[in-house]
Amino acid sequence: MFLSRDDAKDICDKLLARTRADACVIEIDGGEDHSLRFSRGSATTNTSATSLSLKISSHINGRIGSVTTTHLDDKTLEAAQRRSEEIARLLPADPEYVSPLGPQHYENSIRYHDAPKLLQLDALVSHAQQAIEQGQLMNVETYGCINGARRFDALATSNGLFSFERRSEIDLSVTARTQKDNWSGWAGAHEFFAPRLNSAQIALAACKKAAASAAPKDLEPGSYTVILEPDATAELAFWLMSAMDARAADEGRSFYARPGGGSRIGEQLFDEKLTIRVSPGDPLAPESSAGYEGVPHRSRDFIKNGVLRALYRSRAWAHKTNAEPVPFARNFIVEGGPTSLEEMIRATKRGVLITRLWYTNLLEPRALLLTGLTRDGNFLIENGRLTAPASNMRFNQSLGKLFAGIEALSPTQRTWRAVGAGASAAPALLVKDFVFSSQSSGI
Amino acid sequence: MTKSAALHPAMMQNALEQNAMRMNLNHTQLLDQAQIALDHAKRAGASYADIRLGETHRQYIKAKDDRLENFDESALVGFGVRVLLEGCWGFYGAHQLDRANLETGVERALHNARATKIIQNQPIMLENLPAREATWIMPMAQDPFGISAEEKSALLLSICAAARDEGADFCSASLSLAREERLFANSLGARIAQTRTRIFPSFKAIAIDPERGQFSSRESLTPARSAGWEYILQAGLLEEARSAGKEARAKLNAKHLTPGIYDIVIDPTNLWLTIHETIGHSTELDRVLGWEANFAGTSFIKPQMLNNLQIGSELMTIIADRSQAGGLSTIGYDDDGAPAEAADFKIVEKGIFRNFQMALGQAHLIGLPQSNGCAYADSPTAFPIQRMPNISLAPNPNKCTLEDLFKDIENGIYIIGAGSWSIDQQRDNFQFGGQLFYEIKNGQLGDLLRDGAYQGRTTQFWRSLDGLGDSSTYHLDGTFTCGKAEPVQVAPVSHGSPPARFRNISVLNPCNER
Repeated sequence: MFLSRDDAKDICDKLLARTRADACVIEIDGGEDHSLRFSRGSATTNTSATSLSLKISSHINGRIGSVTTTHLDDKTLEAAQRRSEEIARLLPADPEYVSPLGPQHYENSIRYHDAPKLLQLDALVSHAQQAIEQGQLMNVETYGCINGARRFDALATSNGLFSFERRSEIDLSVTARTQKDNWSGWAGAHEFFAPRLNSAQIALAACKKAAASAAPKDLEPGSYTVILEPDATAELAFWLMSAMDARAADEGRSFYARPGGGSRIGEQLFDEKLTIRVSPGDPLAPESSAGYEGVPHRSRDFIKNGVLRALYRSRAWAHKTNAEPVPFARNFIVEGGPTSLEEMIRATKRGVLITRLWYTNLLEPRALLLTGLTRDGNFLIENGRLTAPASNMRFNQSLGKLFAGIEALSPTQRTWRAVGAGASAAPALLVKDFVFSSQSSGI
Repeated sequence: MTKSAALHPAMMQNALEQNAMRMNLNHTQLLDQAQIALDHAKRAGASYADIRLGETHRQYIKAKDDRLENFDESALVGFGVRVLLEGCWGFYGAHQLDRANLETGVERALHNARATKIIQNQPIMLENLPAREATWIMPMAQDPFGISAEEKSALLLSICAAARDEGADFCSASLSLAREERLFANSLGARIAQTRTRIFPSFKAIAIDPERGQFSSRESLTPARSAGWEYILQAGLLEEARSAGKEARAKLNAKHLTPGIYDIVIDPTNLWLTIHETIGHSTELDRVLGWEANFAGTSFIKPQMLNNLQIGSELMTIIADRSQAGGLSTIGYDDDGAPAEAADFKIVEKGIFRNFQMALGQAHLIGLPQSNGCAYADSPTAFPIQRMPNISLAPNPNKCTLEDLFKDIENGIYIIGAGSWSIDQQRDNFQFGGQLFYEIKNGQLGDLLRDGAYQGRTTQFWRSLDGLGDSSTYHLDGTFTCGKAEPVQVAPVSHGSPPARFRNISVLNPCNER
């Protein structure tokens, strides 16, 4: 259900007017989602769905009870509101309670293009068809998924805050595999403005990677110079960002904790070429205007020239530490550099080009030691040229070390994310001493 | 909308009366409405149609240290209709359960089926399933949604206090509850109503050494289960929290593990995840067919390996079921309407690969007549896909205790609790961490070690299985949130096993990998 701003505000006003709690917060989100998958050049599953979720949080004597429902009729909402109040009364007082926010000023974030038909299944089929036809042309099997959605988020508090945002999203990812099923390639893209999705370009990129004619070479585990394409860089940066919780750092249970106490804000933790920022106004990967708890997202550097500048800080922890709250960022931009991907390859005597990563997971949080595997387009570089596909490998790599030793960055570009997962932009990244720990037969 | 409004307030009124929101769907009325929608699909030319309607009721409660951070309750209602028209699937889902919305849903599903025809190069074909009229209700002694918010909050805060009293500096604890009430009907005449409840208590104790900038954690070992509140009462959570507090502290100063090749004994609290990732996912037929190639991945197992592949040692028998008490996949009928007995099969028998897991419309693609009850949709508004039933390692028929498994190990490691996990997209190369690593020296359990992880290749690993506990050592574990498909769906699933011994396994020390 795709509510208008006025309809969402009316519902919020009605609920806030009849609260019996000390304070009340209403969150509504919903919209329409469409999805289509294909395998070996033929459709498999598809979905169209409308959704709506309304959450009422009642604050009573420093306690918060929350109830979520999918229905908007008066009786349902009345019952949900009373239930949230009932829960709040039964809970123990929260020693770190903070009351809901009042009115806020939000930066403009444009993530909505009013063309719903471009997100619906008929349009998604056309994009998938392009990918399938590209595969037929290049004699590889194509597999993929395309999602389209338009959604809204509304937030209102009894202290006078109301925010409302809409976003439209489309993403396409294509995996191409050889007819013999012995090599694969992948490419994907995500856009808030559906007309910008270039499915022909995505399909061609995936098919080209899969169509490599040489047999994949097995590499021995060890340290390698690697070039991470932008999607792989973004995945590593995601883990760097995910660990940026101020409370965990202040409490000494994070990579960002300083031995002896406190966080490492202000320290040069990474290579000076590394800058990661968040910006609602940057069309490259726009963050939403309102973050968690309604705290505005501001244009902000989290890492600037390798120096840690900010960590996420909940309102409760901000209050306790007398600091500014900083909302968790789901959209971020890793700043790029001047070196093209082709130049990086030419400058590499022996190394590996990595298209994307798979099943990354923290193995050891103190050093941000990440494990995972390469997938769908791993190539050996010898004397400045791609010479053969390279069999996939597992890596165990400290992100602290990796981002402290950046050799070169390409210009940054928008990377793939599935609809609903945010947006990111990142450059290709050239690093030395990337640790591959074992071979994988996975293709 | 009017009929929805007529249904839902009754549920909400009941909620007020009983101190918690109860599910109270009118099965007969909804199934009659579903029948009208299915008839409409058939008249429009669909060769098959099915519909899932229902409600998922959840609670999520979280505490950290002395603070109750969240108490969220939700009731999500919806339906999803799936039609097969000229070999093309079409699907539509929404929240409103009234007749008008169901009929609109059928129209939208038919529209989607027509839209995909241009890229339906391989028509979807279905086998016939038995059409059952049935009701299945999971037995439990005490409804966890009937337990007060006060009692649940107090439990979580007590867990945090117990861990911190015994050595942890911090502790977070949570409780997740879910109740699914589902109605299923299809154009073959099936009418099925089912209800099940699951519960997952969880905590994490953390100890820090601020001067050294070190910290260590110990996460809870108490598994998620399909169960009522009686499970929580007998789970020994406070006792486990006290142990966890001590162990988190002890890990800070524990000996470092020397990386190398070891004989290892894996506790069921860890082995369940290895079974899940290496065997559970690799034997899913949709992956083998390439339907998940773009995201979740494919498999190292191919159709021609059925009844041929020696996947493990003779001690290895892996059983699928939907009937195990407490199993998170235990249910009367799957989301294709297949009865639980269809999902009662061996995946691996004495080391030989015997069966794939299959959902509707897949079996014929490898020359088999019938799927085997392995479908699930994580919401009524989601397209049902192939998902795991309970998948478990059968215990040793001969007597064997945990201590027996240690006996002839000269220099080994015993691993308890699931930790970091990762596996390649064809389910071959894996690496698993854990919560507690202990030395085994000359047949006896030795000192606690700081951290570790074991790495291997699926068939090599399972072929090295040479010791297995008996039924007295069997333990059922599992997860609420196995992710698969695009858009991602999360499924609950259980995996039981005894402790097991594996020879010559590569064990690494994460601290050395930095």
